[in-house]
Amino acid sequence: MKSLKSLIIMAVVCVAVVLASASEVDQLKVDLIGQTMGGREKSWKFQSVDQIKELVIKNKTEDLQKRVYTIGLQLQAAGGDKYAAEAKVEYWKTTSGWKIDHVGLLSLKKMD
Amino acid sequence: MKRGANYQWRSREGNTKAVPAIGALVCCFVLCGCKTAKQPELGEPLAGLTPTQQAEFREGKAVFQREFTPETGLGPLFNSVSCAECHEHPVIGGSGDEIEVHATRFVFPNSCDPLFDQGGPVIQQDATPLLRALGILKEQVPSRATAQAHRSTPPLFGFGLVDAIPEKTVLSHEDPHDRDLNGISGRANRAIDGRAGRFGRKAAVATLFDFNAGAFPQEQGVTTPLSPVEETINGTPVPAGTDPAPDPEVTRVDIDKVTEFIRFLAPPPRVCFTNCHDRHLASHGEKLFKALNCAVCHVPKMKTGPSDIRALDRKNVHLYSDLLVHDMGPALADICLGQAHPSEFRTELLMGLRFREHFLHDASARTVQEAIERHGGEARRSRDNFKALSKSDKEALLKFLDSI
Repeated sequence: MKSLKSLIIMAVVCVAVVLASASEVDQLKVDLIGQTMGGREKSWKFQSVDQIKELVIKNKTEDLQKRVYTIGLQLQAAGGDKYAAEAKVEYWKTTSGWKIDHVGLLSLKKMD
Repeated sequence: MKRGANYQWRSREGNTKAVPAIGALVCCFVLCGCKTAKQPELGEPLAGLTPTQQAEFREGKAVFQREFTPETGLGPLFNSVSCAECHEHPVIGGSGDEIEVHATRFVFPNSCDPLFDQGGPVIQQDATPLLRALGILKEQVPSRATAQAHRSTPPLFGFGLVDAIPEKTVLSHEDPHDRDLNGISGRANRAIDGRAGRFGRKAAVATLFDFNAGAFPQEQGVTTPLSPVEETINGTPVPAGTDPAPDPEVTRVDIDKVTEFIRFLAPPPRVCFTNCHDRHLASHGEKLFKALNCAVCHVPKMKTGPSDIRALDRKNVHLYSDLLVHDMGPALADICLGQAHPSEFRTELLMGLRFREHFLHDASARTVQEAIERHGGEARRSRDNFKALSKSDKEALLKFLDSI
């Protein structure tokens, strides 16, 4: 009985973690819209969530002022080629909460 | 009015020998319609900037001229130590004699890989002493590249106005299936994120800001908040200890300042020929320019959209380009980029042509005439018609090109 209770608690925690993570990923996708990373031929301006085919949080650090995500991305513009990217997303704490500051392009590769 | 009346009085009462000369001069001004509106000189800011914008122009110019060292961010791989090292002729913001190497991979019929993961498309040609000490003198053309290209430095005058032309205006000139049957079928290239491109010899860059943001890492090896890691050496990270400056090596503010400098850089002043012969010659040349269909691609004028910046707000831009890519034939073909095939190039902007010392995207043409005669593909018919012109008509067309 005790082990069943533990299992249920673990399952609830797991679901909560997954949901929180999913919500964090979704929030990141929304926050990225309007941001530009890289430059020149390597510029990517996030214009819609549809362009972000996949977003994986690889790392997250946070202090009182700054939150930094390292993310993996699969990107594709409408009718365009697919690209695999790694990016650093920086947020700054404001009076109204965390606000995205900029996105740095760490790597970019065209996918076959 | 007073000045005109004065001339009339002098012609009646003054030295009779001067009458024909003055009469011819007046006639020339009247018939030729010389515009006397003051244009900013080459390298000066746009007319009508506010004091704040003029200050931004000056601050941006200082960043544009900043010479980086390894300690302040240069390299380890780079092409130049400052923006102004290349954009220097005949004044800051102009062209230069440096030739870059670009490389990409094209697989017929439509696959273009810019080889970002192998150091492409810009292959840096210089290295800092710390990298040289390890035997790395420059980046190599990636083994997977199918072609490499040489690129000259484009002059930047008037680029703020070009940036302010609405996308729909550019797209209105597209004719990818040559529906008007004139043999010319331009189309917009696309940045990798799908936006219509207009900057760069293949029009693969969408905005002036993007162009500048990428110039720091790709030309000077200077990291930015948007590109916070060093360019690789053909895909391999730079060796430890070769990059003494902490990243990012410039701030977002620096990118914005350089962008404002270029945004506010006035287009080259147009020539107002002072003698009637040249004026008529240029006028005839302009008619030939249109008759030969040069103006179908080298569109003489577009208009900027509404802008909060008065100097950019609904202004005519005499760019002489449609900002689209066109097939220029196999002889000029080099690399693909974005959706542009190896033989496709963005129509070169002709404004300020007289200030350049070499021509075509790779600086391989010594004269404007040579550049025209090397046009191919969609421009073949116009080129052949140019070649068939009489000597005096060719002179007229070249005189016109010397005035824009």
